[in-house]
Amino acid sequence: MADRAGWQRAVESELRAVGRELEVPPPRDFTAAVRQRLEGQAVRRRLPAGGTGALRHRLVWRAALAVVVACLAVLIATPQGRAAIIHVFRFAGVELRQEPGPAPSPGNSASLPGERPMSLEKARHQVSFPILVPAALGPPGEVVVSDGGRVASLIYFRTPYGQVRMDEFAGQLDPVYFQKIVNFGDVTEVEVNGTKGLWIKGPHVLVYITRDGTSAAASARLTTGNTLIWGTRQVALRLEGNLGKTAALAIANSAH
Amino acid sequence: MRRAIDDAEAVTRAREGDLDAYAVLVTRYTLRAHRAAFLLGAGEEADDVVQEAFVKAFRHLSRFRVGEPFGPWLLRIVSNETRNLTRSRRRRAALALRLCTAESDGVAADGPVDEVLAADRRARLVAAVKTLPDRERQVLVCRYFLDLSEAETAQVLEWPIGSVKSRTSRALNRLRGLLVPEERDRISNG
Repeated sequence: MADRAGWQRAVESELRAVGRELEVPPPRDFTAAVRQRLEGQAVRRRLPAGGTGALRHRLVWRAALAVVVACLAVLIATPQGRAAIIHVFRFAGVELRQEPGPAPSPGNSASLPGERPMSLEKARHQVSFPILVPAALGPPGEVVVSDGGRVASLIYFRTPYGQVRMDEFAGQLDPVYFQKIVNFGDVTEVEVNGTKGLWIKGPHVLVYITRDGTSAAASARLTTGNTLIWGTRQVALRLEGNLGKTAALAIANSAH
Repeated sequence: MRRAIDDAEAVTRAREGDLDAYAVLVTRYTLRAHRAAFLLGAGEEADDVVQEAFVKAFRHLSRFRVGEPFGPWLLRIVSNETRNLTRSRRRRAALALRLCTAESDGVAADGPVDEVLAADRRARLVAAVKTLPDRERQVLVCRYFLDLSEAETAQVLEWPIGSVKSRTSRALNRLRGLLVPEERDRISNG
């Protein structure tokens, strides 16, 4: 009874831990379905009330739908001064946006919000997910925890592949940590430890997205080399460096 | 032009009818919205709830104040949809709160003793949360399972912040009552 406050603190942290372990099935991909319904709404608003026969109605509907879709497509295709969105999808806490066009060129001295270098031991206490270390690379040269414990980064300064960086975050729980703007054809599916991963060939723009959905402008940078993204049930990882696919997969498979 | 599209820009463009911009928000928030719906009681129907919520959110975008965070605003719609569903379902939602099995986590039942004990303790905690009255369970789900602040919880559940505080403390007290006789020592020491 005396330690009511202590009990409450303990149970609160226990509840948070339980929250991370609850089994939630993966959601369907709604993007297409939602879009289809919204396009349908746009058509309905344009149609005159009251039909003249079911068939005629259906034909009008289809014609109108085609016109509206075409209009939308034109509107979307010509935004002035706006980033084009061609295809967007999410994987393990990373949002990938595919765009046509020339290679990007943002600055390279970028950082995540609130970066704090610390020992691996300390970092493990600062984040809510297990930090995986790739045995193939050994202990990291530097460990950085960013944005109040939302991301942990292992940095290897000297490897056979030059500098290698591994970012880790609770990608299965929270929405998006990084946004990548990638070219068509640069992304392929791979298998890491029996689960799906994505292999992204070549440099691309990488932006950090904060918890409240704003992009951290100072974090925008061009990645080096190639990138592999994958996840376990508790942690999502992205490995970046001048690595070939085989080396990247070997490193990923050695992470535990 | 290549740069990040943040929530505010996506909302602004979606309001003008840009469905591609809205797709950015759908992609970005699907996981969070689905997790909220599932844990707030939609269970297997979470997919339908979330799809409906995204359609409604688009229709209501004009009411969204640009600059406020999109996440809690969307989750309010999700929680509303979940409530409508569980109400219409009549029977109390067979709560789908379940811990990932220890085995799949590499912590087998014959693992180190403290890990087995911790897993056992958490399983009891989940079982206790399931027995709470709806509102008390909802507030715990928002505060601890979805990691929302008190203010965000108030917005999502559409309660005054005072109710969030009082129901949280009532729920924690009730958990204490459910768990303490056998569990107090282990939880407070563990």
